[in-house]
Amino acid sequence: MTTKTGITCLLMLLFFCCPAVLNRYWVDVLNNVGLYALLGLSLNIILGDAGLFHMGHAAFYAIGAYTAAILNTQYNIPMLYLIPVGGIFAALFSAIIARPIIHLRGDYLLVVTIGLVEIVRISLVNDVFGLTGGANGIFGIDRMIIAGMKIRRPHHFFYFIYVFMIITVFMFSRLKQSRFGRALNYIREDETAAQGSGIHTAHYKLLAFILGAGWAGMTGVIYASKMTIISPESFSFWESVVVFMIVILGGSGSISGVILGAFLIIGLPEIFRGFAEARMLVFGGAMMLLMIFRPQGIIASVPQMYKIRNKS
Amino acid sequence: MEQFFLQLTNGLTVGSIYALIALGYTMVYGVLKLINFAHGDLFTTGAYLGFTVLASLALTDHLGQFTGIISLAVMVMVMVGIIGIILERAAYKPLRQSPRLSAVVSALGASIFIQNAIMLIYGATFYFYPQDILPKFTIDIFGIAIPIMRCIVFMVSIALMASLYIFIQKTTMGAAIRAAAIDQDAARLMGINVDRVISVVFFVGPALGGAAGLMVGMYYGHINFTMGWVYGLKAFTAAILGGIGNIPGAMLGGLLLGVIESLGAAYISFAWKDALAFCVLILILIFRPTGLLGERVAEKI
Amino acid sequence: MKKLVMSLILTLILATGVHAASDFIKIGLMAPMTGSWASEGLEMKQVLELLAQKINTSGGLLGKNVEIIVEDDAGDPRTAALAAQRLSTSGIVGVIGTYGSSITEASQTIYDEEGIIQIANGSTAVRLTEKGLKHFFRTCPRDDEQGRVAAQTIQKLGYKNVAILHDNTTYAKGLADETRRHLKTNKIRICFFDALTPGERDYSTILTMLKGKKPDVVFFTGYYPEAGLLLRQKRELNWKTPFIGGDATNHPDLIKIAGRDAAEGFRFISAPLPQDLPFRQARTFVSDFKSAYGTTPNSIYALLAGDGFRVLTYAIEKTKSLDKKAISKYLHHQLKSFRGLTGRITFNDKGDRIGDIYSNYMVVVKTFFELQQ
Repeated sequence: MTTKTGITCLLMLLFFCCPAVLNRYWVDVLNNVGLYALLGLSLNIILGDAGLFHMGHAAFYAIGAYTAAILNTQYNIPMLYLIPVGGIFAALFSAIIARPIIHLRGDYLLVVTIGLVEIVRISLVNDVFGLTGGANGIFGIDRMIIAGMKIRRPHHFFYFIYVFMIITVFMFSRLKQSRFGRALNYIREDETAAQGSGIHTAHYKLLAFILGAGWAGMTGVIYASKMTIISPESFSFWESVVVFMIVILGGSGSISGVILGAFLIIGLPEIFRGFAEARMLVFGGAMMLLMIFRPQGIIASVPQMYKIRNKS
Repeated sequence: MEQFFLQLTNGLTVGSIYALIALGYTMVYGVLKLINFAHGDLFTTGAYLGFTVLASLALTDHLGQFTGIISLAVMVMVMVGIIGIILERAAYKPLRQSPRLSAVVSALGASIFIQNAIMLIYGATFYFYPQDILPKFTIDIFGIAIPIMRCIVFMVSIALMASLYIFIQKTTMGAAIRAAAIDQDAARLMGINVDRVISVVFFVGPALGGAAGLMVGMYYGHINFTMGWVYGLKAFTAAILGGIGNIPGAMLGGLLLGVIESLGAAYISFAWKDALAFCVLILILIFRPTGLLGERVAEKI
Repeated sequence: MKKLVMSLILTLILATGVHAASDFIKIGLMAPMTGSWASEGLEMKQVLELLAQKINTSGGLLGKNVEIIVEDDAGDPRTAALAAQRLSTSGIVGVIGTYGSSITEASQTIYDEEGIIQIANGSTAVRLTEKGLKHFFRTCPRDDEQGRVAAQTIQKLGYKNVAILHDNTTYAKGLADETRRHLKTNKIRICFFDALTPGERDYSTILTMLKGKKPDVVFFTGYYPEAGLLLRQKRELNWKTPFIGGDATNHPDLIKIAGRDAAEGFRFISAPLPQDLPFRQARTFVSDFKSAYGTTPNSIYALLAGDGFRVLTYAIEKTKSLDKKAISKYLHHQLKSFRGLTGRITFNDKGDRIGDIYSNYMVVVKTFFELQQ
């Protein structure tokens, strides 16, 4: 085991002891960081790996959360089982929506995704199909129960979210190195060349959307169970912007970058809550500066390196 | 029928405001291929500056109602125009050679920055424009009573748009702007000072947005620091609807969006009117991506 | 990356140390300090701080000073949930707030899980006290009561054809539903029942449609910013049909938004305004407020918040402890006819305030809001 992995493991161990040291509020902040990191990772597949300008991620998050909320409050299905259900619904939704827009060029795709997230939000506010509870949302969502224990307190959520994140990180890193991941990178770098190499770009882009959406949906279910009340306000365009920022500023394409981005963007404002009023100002200013001085994000995506074996 | 015409006039008025703001988006996009997310906040800035100037200088008292308002408008437009130029220099110029995404992010950052700057300077509560400076009667058009302010807003917007159109079509600078929008490098080769063109664009676009902000402040009476958000998004939709980069397109898109919204709200449902606007946007982009009057943007796979 | 993570963890750990030991009794205030209702939030803060100051200068509570910890809920459920999280970990014994039923609802479970006493001042939706929460109280009345009074007023004024407009929030829809129910029982025709979208500027479309339906009166159950806009825009359309509002339209900013001419003649149903409160407590308080801040308080909800604070501190004093369960029990069972700023306060088992406090108001611009009987 190399020193690098050793240190990483040690840090992770320390991190997992956090709830013992921190008070509830800060653990909760870390929970939020975790949720946003998960969202960031899911958006990373679409935005970072495939290079698709997507600012409507909150829509998928919303679908997952609301599906679970409705099924849970109407039919009493336990939240834990609804995690994959929420993910599947979100994935299906994205499959239907993405199909017609996948061929749009960069900026236009961006605009459409913005319109999309707003439509979803408005539909939620207007109580579409009489299911979504309108502007007040849905309340009374159950907590998840694992092996008889209710996940209720911040530190319960802490472990749940971060274990989920480790699984996610593991899966996504494998994905990056797989054929799928490489194809996505290829498409991002030069779509025409990718097509020329025989990659069916529309197909892969769609898959990227579906995968990203599915994961966001699952995160939405966890969120619903944490808040016990969800309302359309949590799924506005602004949320999409935040997740978008996390991916871009943290380093699009790079998994550790996205996680770091989540810490910075969600965690820092909480630390600076004392300067409550000016922090958003600083945030905006920082965004501009970062783009000017370090546009690839804080941790840039590290290109795959392959050792060339020397035959002699 | 009367309902229909009334709703139509509502739509045209609201639409003319969207159109004014949309012009700012479309001009910037045409030349820089950048979606200036901060534009909605420049609109807000116009509203607030108008308020400050009005309150502190009591223009209407000194100059009489009509000239007072005109000078107010001119002052606000110039000020917002200058802020627009500063914005460009600070947030976009350094990124001219960078990939588009960086500029988009910077634009978002600028938007957050300006919005919060306004909040910090003025505070979070609503501000109210003084009410007694505007005419309040209704006039009769074809037997329908329409409030005069509505007509004024509409006509002023149209006047501003017409001036812009003449400027773009008939002046040298206008030609330079059109050239730079087609191909920046070629324009440079033709001896056009592209930097200056960009500065002009960033003066005129925001100036129009600021004028829109002032009108909204006067017409609706109250302003707050988040008002640019929804207006910006809708104006942006309007610009896309008309074909982004296309000036008559933005005007058309704005008016059309306003009318669709009003009629949709009246005859389909109030609550869904925003969703309707976005649906229209998405449908247009899927089936006619160029917008109504614009350029081709989709690549068929 | 590793350095950053390390330093982040360290910073977080340090941040926790910042909480000093308590020589204070902490009471939280969750209020809209930003957003459409920022004026309400500001007054709530002013009222509470004034009351806390009075306690501190006359010997404190149980010998300690009272500290008010303010968190902004921005008038939005999600921000409220976060604010509630923060407050619930700051060592408060109770929280006053907030204004807006949906906002309060988002925070209820969080406070309840920590056993923190919550006394809402501006949340009238019936649902809030029907959940069996043991530590939730409110000093404001409920919508079913208001609906009844609204229907009664409409009938008394002789209107036969009513349009009801709400904004889809828990409170407004609830009130609209209640009023409709009562009106229907009395066989009054309702020609329109729908919602507008709050936060917008231009309601001319919906007004034009309403005008076409030719109602005798329009009952709007939403909040004052929208009410102001409605009044103003209806005047522009030269439409003279009277409007009546629910208690959330009760705020002086209404006149500013609508413009004096447009606001003239508007009626609303609400708990009495601060200056109309006949109680001695209220009069003294209003003048104290004026000396401290330069104007009289505008909002009855700020005073209801003040009452929430006063019953809480009274209960703490009487039970001589900071034990939340004991305080809760006291408030439920032993607090009887407490002399509040807004009248006598007694809570029932659900946490609702018992008593009849709605009156009928009309806007008469010269004298501001004028009480009608």
